[in-house]
Amino acid sequence: MFRILKGAGGDRVFRVATIGALVLLAVFFIGIIVSMLAYTDWDTFVSALFSEEILFAIRLSVMTATIAAIIAILIAVPVAYTISRSSFPGKDIVDSLLDLPIVVSPVALGAALLVFFNTPLGSAIDDDVLKFVFAVPGIVLAQVTVISALAIRLLKSTFDSIDLRYEQVARTLGCSKPEAFFRVTLPLARDGLIASSILTWARAVGEFGATVMLAGATAMKTETLPTAIFLSLATADVEKAIAVIFVLIIIAVVALLAIRKIIGRRYQI
Amino acid sequence: MIEIKNLSLHLGEFHLKDINLSIGDGEYFVILGPTGAGKTVLMECLAGLHHVKQGEIWMGQREVTHLASEERNVGYVPQDYVLFPFLNVVDNIAFGLKMAKCSGSEIQARVNELADLTGISHLLHRNTRSLSGGEKQRVALARALAPSPGILLLDEPLGALDLRTAKYLRLELRRVHHGLGLTTVHITHDLMEALEMADRVAVIQNGQVEQVAEPEEMLFYPEGERVADFIGAPNILNCDYCRDLGQGIIEVGCGGLKLTVPHEGGHVRKVAILPRHIYVSETRPPGLSVNGFQGSITAIKTAGNTVRIWIDVDDTNLMAEVPSYIFEEMNLAVGKEVFLILRMRRIRCYESHN
Repeated sequence: MFRILKGAGGDRVFRVATIGALVLLAVFFIGIIVSMLAYTDWDTFVSALFSEEILFAIRLSVMTATIAAIIAILIAVPVAYTISRSSFPGKDIVDSLLDLPIVVSPVALGAALLVFFNTPLGSAIDDDVLKFVFAVPGIVLAQVTVISALAIRLLKSTFDSIDLRYEQVARTLGCSKPEAFFRVTLPLARDGLIASSILTWARAVGEFGATVMLAGATAMKTETLPTAIFLSLATADVEKAIAVIFVLIIIAVVALLAIRKIIGRRYQI
Repeated sequence: MIEIKNLSLHLGEFHLKDINLSIGDGEYFVILGPTGAGKTVLMECLAGLHHVKQGEIWMGQREVTHLASEERNVGYVPQDYVLFPFLNVVDNIAFGLKMAKCSGSEIQARVNELADLTGISHLLHRNTRSLSGGEKQRVALARALAPSPGILLLDEPLGALDLRTAKYLRLELRRVHHGLGLTTVHITHDLMEALEMADRVAVIQNGQVEQVAEPEEMLFYPEGERVADFIGAPNILNCDYCRDLGQGIIEVGCGGLKLTVPHEGGHVRKVAILPRHIYVSETRPPGLSVNGFQGSITAIKTAGNTVRIWIDVDDTNLMAEVPSYIFEEMNLAVGKEVFLILRMRRIRCYESHN
């Protein structure tokens, strides 16, 4: 089959096929957005967007995602650094286990968390330390569970790309290991760190499966933006759902543009 | 004084085997060996970048085998210099001083002093990414020297530079070393670099020290075939007489050959020249030829990318080496008469053998 694709004709067919796939995908996404715009009108859209419920969902999502992203990055930095720089028995297994939250359905993770809080230890934590089940801390926990693996993966590739010799030189210049990490490795990882933070934050804003399992979907209580879409559609309030979808799309676009800008000025190491 | 005693290290497939070295105070010590011989690993052991389980390393009266890098007081210039890209030149040089909690005025004075010493005063506020290879090398050297280390470690410091810059910086490194009197360990795979710079040379191959000697001694008396092979099997000629021509030039008689050689000092007993420093031509080279001779080819042998040619000149047999692609352009055969020039500046002299 590939024989007939040799020469200039083959080049053209290949180019048309690859560009065609790109155009098809773009048309598909633009089509979805246009269909949503056609479904609603401006006034309805604005009033839905500024309704008390949606403003609450935006505030809650931004707050929980910010806390979750900070926690996830604080956990991910040492974990990713350890996996990137150390070798220990069973490292491959640990590395694979840390990828589980990326491939396992968030609903399953949320359900597992819910089951945990039904065990004696989980109940004790939920009753005496901090209320997670069907409460706002549950949203943060669900988001952290889902996004920490992503943060680790992104930061590991950042640390992998930093030559170990920078730290070694810093050590010979008088730095202890922690000093070398904070004074040399972290500044070198700065762009990767910012990009990972933005991406994990955006992923936390969009998290639904694990959140709804652990924190539930109670309007004006545990209602994040994705939960708001779910609740709006459940009550056939399509305009409100469309308003929230646009909020999520705008957040995603801004996040991706920011990352592109950061990666564009990355250090040439 | 650095002493390495019975040092062995296993790193995956690679082994450093029972290394014993003693490097004197203020010495410029060169570790010479081919790529993959273990030079960098050995230097990293000195810098404290590997956990040594077998053997000891002493620096002065201190055993440093198990001390962390920051406790050893060594200055380290790695290959490719590894300047911190998020800091400008000043901040790179000042890095070690800040770690030593020096005051602002102390840092400024020391940075200026080192910038003068290494000739980079005009670069201080530049971004390190915009520097040339030679400039980066100087900044890395100034950074390593800033905290006043007891020992300076240089890993292939001239390897990434063009020939002209490297040649110039060889002199600069020697000048800096002479000025500071700092014990320096320099690793290289370049024989000429080792011969020109070292007080003493250690040849290392396959993780083992093969020979430790002064450069001339190594060249004239290589220990074992592997060292002789690595340094390129020099032609070594015994001198019958030695006559001073003035201005640092002498004439030596070796068998039937009269050679003009740059040399200052005592009576020369032997001279050496590497086969690659003998120029072979089918026709008489034009102009005044110093150390030019005529001889006949006795043997030709291919060795990798080069061809070795043995030539009888009077009663002396010399080996020359030419790259294969040049050999193919020539019409050489055993028995043919050829002209050869022994490059004067490349001839090394040996005064005595201890």
